[in-house]
Amino acid sequence: MPVNVVVLMKPVVDPKAIVNFRPDGTIDRSAVKLVVNPYDKYAIEAAVQLKEKLGGKVVGIAMAPLHAVDSLREALAIGVDEFILLSDLKLAGSDTLATSYALSAAIRKIWQKLGSLDLILCGIESSDSNTGHIGPEVGEWLGLPSVSYVDSILEVRDGSVLVKRLIEGGYVVMKVKLPAVLSIAGTSYQPRIPALREVLAARRKQITVWNTAEVGIDQSLVGLAGSPTRVVRMWRIEIKRRGKIFSDPDVDKMLEKFLEEIRRDGISLGVRS
Amino acid sequence: MPVDFELTKEQEDVKATVREFAEKYIAPRAIEFEEKQMIPPEITREMGRLGLFGVTYPEEYGGLGLDPVTAGLILEEIVRADLTFSLAVAYLVPASWGYVACKYGSEEFRDDIIRKAAGGDLWIGIATTEPGAGSDLAGISTTARRDGDSYVVSGEKAYISGVREAREKGVWFELGGGHVTLAYTDKSKLHRGMSLFFVPLTDPGISVRLEKEFGRKGWSYGSFVLDNVKVPGKYRIGEEGRGFYIAMEGFDHARAYIALACAVGGKRAIELAAEYAKQRRAFGEPIATFQGVQFQLADNWARLEAAHSLAYRALWALKMEQEGRLGRYEVTKIAASAKLFAVQTAKAAIDDALRWFGAYGYTEENPVALAMKAVKSYDWAEGSLDIMRLIVAREVLGREYIARRR
Repeated sequence: MPVNVVVLMKPVVDPKAIVNFRPDGTIDRSAVKLVVNPYDKYAIEAAVQLKEKLGGKVVGIAMAPLHAVDSLREALAIGVDEFILLSDLKLAGSDTLATSYALSAAIRKIWQKLGSLDLILCGIESSDSNTGHIGPEVGEWLGLPSVSYVDSILEVRDGSVLVKRLIEGGYVVMKVKLPAVLSIAGTSYQPRIPALREVLAARRKQITVWNTAEVGIDQSLVGLAGSPTRVVRMWRIEIKRRGKIFSDPDVDKMLEKFLEEIRRDGISLGVRS
Repeated sequence: MPVDFELTKEQEDVKATVREFAEKYIAPRAIEFEEKQMIPPEITREMGRLGLFGVTYPEEYGGLGLDPVTAGLILEEIVRADLTFSLAVAYLVPASWGYVACKYGSEEFRDDIIRKAAGGDLWIGIATTEPGAGSDLAGISTTARRDGDSYVVSGEKAYISGVREAREKGVWFELGGGHVTLAYTDKSKLHRGMSLFFVPLTDPGISVRLEKEFGRKGWSYGSFVLDNVKVPGKYRIGEEGRGFYIAMEGFDHARAYIALACAVGGKRAIELAAEYAKQRRAFGEPIATFQGVQFQLADNWARLEAAHSLAYRALWALKMEQEGRLGRYEVTKIAASAKLFAVQTAKAAIDDALRWFGAYGYTEENPVALAMKAVKSYDWAEGSLDIMRLIVAREVLGREYIARRR
């Protein structure tokens, strides 16, 4: 059965870029390159693999300023069929609750356009804020079941999806009713590098921009006003940790010195079986 | 404001994609290329999937239709990841010779060969050099005799890149490959009696022998003997008698790419050596603190920057030629200048960079040492430095100063 999938993506500051901070501690975003959140790339790969296996359509969506549009082309090159950029100044300052609300409203509109929707995929978190909220929150807003830390999608059949979910020390297999929201952990879906032909073609594809009015977003629920979270202060963490080398030709003595030192620091060693 | 070094968005995308591929798949294994004397086939297969063996071929034949400047941006990423230059050879030879073969080849050749090469199923190499002729191409003895719809080709080509990869089907390329081969169709006419043919190396009538290369060991190097090998007429590249001139055009492309590879390889060597110089301490300080290292670094870097820019100017000149806005001779002059300068500049830079490594520099595990061996090959490959000098002098002085054939 063909599956229609929406993939959530967040343009983030390139984790490989050198970032400059403004005097107030915030990141100077004007000069840095934006890329698709690396965690979301696993979700894109999962969606494209589903499409290749079962058919259907993959629609990407991101909520970001207009200038982020370039960073989203990669998703189109990998195999996302259509891309929606939800962009509006009124969305600026939205926290995860407001963001997930706005995205949910846009997903509803996509759902309506597609006629049917089976899965909503996203990365487990973003590389720049690492909350991991968006997936589960979107599930709540839409009233859909959501599963986080999904290692792999095993099967889509008879209106439900079988997923392998990572837990500490192992995994559980869960059967979830469709439509569902899945946050994909980056283990089973190594993102492919798109062929250059697709990369060039992606540049020629249209990315649709929606504003809050078009989507029917309640403006009191987005932006700073709609965000219960406040960033009070940002500061740089100076890492002053230094390595220490313990050396002694006698390994036992060397270990003893090491243990002595960490005991002094109040660290106790547990034994894990 | 016509002079502009800015990249288009498409170029940025292409560069970023190839960089990701090169960092993930090429860089971690580049040392292995030299050690095992081969490129792991999964790398050429993946490069084929990405479209890297058909970047310059027209889109109507399955290529990407990229101009030489953009093709150069891709080469940069490949060289940065692999200082053995093995993949640089694998990439730049088809980008140059495949392009020229497509330009002058028959419609059947384009449909039959270029399409497959663009899809990564077949590699296109170049074979002009022979045991008895290199710089003096008129001295070749390979001949092609017309026989109905075909040609019967006999002779020996020596020191040719990619003979193993083209010979063996189903390993690096599904269908192996072949070489654009220079042969006399009428020896009495010297340069005007030469023709070019695409010769599939998978032909059972061809015997291949491998050389033990000095460097660039990942991509094979060797000779092949053609003993009355039948080559279909549709595989003739251009008119009979035009082979030498078409080959000169192919050389221009290859030289511009080689110039770029050398400039970028030299810069990468300096970068790696600079990293080492920051770590390595002597006399109580990192050796990067010493002006003896700093001044060498600065002189080499400045020259490499110049070589880098000149290489792009040569690639740009090729693009201008494609658009009919620059003449052949001007392109040849810039391409030859670029190769002449970049090879010498890179060799000197790498020699200095290697010295900063001290004894560790003199090992096969040091990518800079491998770069030194690779760059050395361009003293002659695709036209020796002295031939470059003759070309530049000829184009500056005028053709009446060409030394007479003795």
